[in-house]
Amino acid sequence: MELPELAARWMHALTPTAYIPLSHAEIQQALLDALVELPESPESVADRLVSLHATGPDSLRATIEVLSPTFELPLLARLSSAYAHYMRMDAFDQQEQIKVAIVRAKQRVERTLKVSEARFKEVFASSALGIAITDFDGRCVEANDTLAEIVGLESGADLVGRQLIDYFHPEDKAALAASYRQVRDGHVERFRDQRKLIREDDEPVWVHLAASLLADADDEPTHHVTMVEDISELHLLQRSLDHQLLHDSLTGLSNRQHFITQVERRIGSDPITLYHLGLDAFSVVNNGLGHETGDKLLKIVASRLRKLAEEKKAVVARIGGDEFALMTISDHVTSTIEEIQATLAEATFVDDHGIALSASIGVVDRPAAFVTAAELMRCANAALRQAKARGKRQWALHDPHDDARRRGRYALAASMPGAWEHGELEIVYAPVHDLETREVLGAVARLHWDDLSHNDTMALADSTGLSLPIGKWLLREACAQAARWVAEFGDRAPTLHIALGALQSRDEDLVADVKRALDETGLPPEQLRIALDISSVLAGDDNAVVLHDSGIVTALDGFRGGHDELAVLTEVPVRTVITRAPAPTPDSPLRQAMRDLIATVHSFGVRFGVDEVHTLSDAEHWRSAGADGVIGLLPALSADEVTELLTTAPSPPPAAS
Amino acid sequence: MSERVSWVPEGLDTGKPSAARLYDYLLGGGHNFAADRALAEKFLQAQPNARTIARLNRAFLRRAVLFMMDRGIRQFLDLGSGIPTVGNVHEIAQKADPEAHVVYVDFEDVAVAHSQLILEDDPRATIIQEDMTKPEAVLKAAQESGLIDFSQPVGVLTVGVFHFVPPEADPRTIVATYRDAVPEGSYLAFSQFTQDLQPEEMAGVVEVMKKSQNPMFPRTRSEIEGFFDGFEVVEPGVVPLPLWRPEGQNTDDPDKAGIYAAVGRKV
Repeated sequence: MELPELAARWMHALTPTAYIPLSHAEIQQALLDALVELPESPESVADRLVSLHATGPDSLRATIEVLSPTFELPLLARLSSAYAHYMRMDAFDQQEQIKVAIVRAKQRVERTLKVSEARFKEVFASSALGIAITDFDGRCVEANDTLAEIVGLESGADLVGRQLIDYFHPEDKAALAASYRQVRDGHVERFRDQRKLIREDDEPVWVHLAASLLADADDEPTHHVTMVEDISELHLLQRSLDHQLLHDSLTGLSNRQHFITQVERRIGSDPITLYHLGLDAFSVVNNGLGHETGDKLLKIVASRLRKLAEEKKAVVARIGGDEFALMTISDHVTSTIEEIQATLAEATFVDDHGIALSASIGVVDRPAAFVTAAELMRCANAALRQAKARGKRQWALHDPHDDARRRGRYALAASMPGAWEHGELEIVYAPVHDLETREVLGAVARLHWDDLSHNDTMALADSTGLSLPIGKWLLREACAQAARWVAEFGDRAPTLHIALGALQSRDEDLVADVKRALDETGLPPEQLRIALDISSVLAGDDNAVVLHDSGIVTALDGFRGGHDELAVLTEVPVRTVITRAPAPTPDSPLRQAMRDLIATVHSFGVRFGVDEVHTLSDAEHWRSAGADGVIGLLPALSADEVTELLTTAPSPPPAAS
Repeated sequence: MSERVSWVPEGLDTGKPSAARLYDYLLGGGHNFAADRALAEKFLQAQPNARTIARLNRAFLRRAVLFMMDRGIRQFLDLGSGIPTVGNVHEIAQKADPEAHVVYVDFEDVAVAHSQLILEDDPRATIIQEDMTKPEAVLKAAQESGLIDFSQPVGVLTVGVFHFVPPEADPRTIVATYRDAVPEGSYLAFSQFTQDLQPEEMAGVVEVMKKSQNPMFPRTRSEIEGFFDGFEVVEPGVVPLPLWRPEGQNTDDPDKAGIYAAVGRKV
């Protein structure tokens, strides 16, 4: 066989046996050179094969198979034995190489270790905490100078070889030894304690202790490490100011300030989740069982949350009267919510009172990195308000869009007092129509501000606490206007209807306010109808009764047809109930129910009115269902417009047609 | 304590096998320890074709580097380069053009020390010790090495590496971060184990590696194609190792090649 052909066969036999980092042409050329060289020096061919890295487990066999028909056995034997020699040499080279690599890697690890050891030494030496490393017999192996100072010795070295536990009060020794054993046996990861330490000069020092395990390189525990903090009075005095600035004095948790600092530190770098907790019905506890009980309860809540926070490596704080905050990292929201509710729901007894605890929770999950901590707290608070609005034990996730809406509302609410002061709030009058006669029965005085409806304006006013003063103002102004109409138009003057907000409806001063308004404006009482929010009557408030006794016709607004509401109608003398509901169209399945309800209301001698009816067809549906009056068919008018209408019209304005 | 080879200095644990040394052993190298070889034997039991797969994977690395050189690439970033065995990237590249630059990236102490030894006298190649699954750190160090000009096309090599990257490390984002760091016209060479070929053997290998320091995560062809988001995969696409632009007639069985390979050009 020609040598080039043999080289090609050799190459095809050899390449599947080992990775030779050359092109096929290059390999073939190298093998051809080897074939030429082989008869003279099989040793250098072997060298060449090993250098080529033709060193797979089957490389030699493949070589011999290809070459044996052409070359004599002794020659191939020399090749084989030289091949083995060069393989050995190659292995030695490689092992030498990796040995050097390993030595270098080890040196680097050691250097790193030295640096970290140096750092540790620095921490150990400069720590404000006393630190002792003790073996399992309790002997100090190492201690820092701070600890020496606490026990009244010169330097940490003086402590080496001594029993740490000997520095504690004799009565405490057994308990402490047990705690150390618990840590050592792995029952607890660490223990914290507050104990009295006896100094060399026999002076007692109060200390906080924290002890945990130190493990060696094989993760085998070998020593205890104990941190000792001097909390004696003198010491405390120096530090109490700092502490008070950052902690809540009742519960010892971080305060709002401190919490915000911690949030700031984490925001932007960690996926944080913020929980803003408001205890449900805490005021009931405080008012019902007293502040002392309330305080005890808060402490219990604080300690449970602290425990939960420790388990979750979270940060916890008390940020308001009955409000707490929790910050977690990389958290699962729903399970944390469950854990919070579960820990709160544990049976709680305070001064023999069993108390059921729950919280409403506002959550901000993984906020954008650029948000400020203050903004985050505001968002969490907004989410909490939302959760509270849903009832007890609810939670809500902060929704940035919803928040923008609310903020818009709050901004509006915030500008309301100014607007009111500047006379931007207007009173308008919406006609009340009798469904049977289609005549106008009277006018409802309503607030108008900006583009907001009466109800929206009242709701805003409620959220700012302005609803009472605004309500009183509305009452007086509207009565004055109605009195002017009576003076000018006599019988044709519209009866004044005023619907009061929830707060004003149960205001103690309401009856006096109404009487004063009538007295001062001269409006005849029979020209006034007061609609009270039905919730006040349901809550047992007697304003409706007293108004009635004073000769003022009353209505109940917000009627929904519940049993409790119907029951009230039998007890409280009212003229009308006012509801807001979709019109009972002929195809509505509730039409018959609505008819029955209206019939029931009528059977108590009470009229049935409907607010927010805007179309004639809806008015007709209500009429056929038996309702008596509707509001909303015509747009509300300003006082001047009403006056003009009364002046030009020969009789009260007819129904919309 | 596991058996220690006498010439290994104390302090480094050679009792724990490493994937890099396992690969070296399968390629016929001598840079490995008893524990590595023991793991390799188990690996071979699960996948008897492992030596061939190692050889084919190394051969793909060579062809991919030469292909990129052919397209004008003169700087390479070899992610998870491991123990320098035969046919290292800088050797292949610098044989074609002595000016070619290569930056190796590995995290394992011994692999790094070893690479440093080999590269000591080569000013155009270096190793940086970083975790290739942390692209920001790798890119920063590569930048600082001064060997890679990120305004020029780069050949990014992840050959036989991503099967060690678990799904939770978000491999797609890792690849995308490297992609975004290099200019248009850069190339990515990628190969990794798949369960599409020889699923039973692959399952066996996953089981063997599960307890090692380097558990394995085979991926399907479509998953691998997903890594090439933002790249134009060059012909013949994602294929078993021996079918990727073979040199001459391919004689290896693609169905037993275990690993898919592909090269893409950033567009």
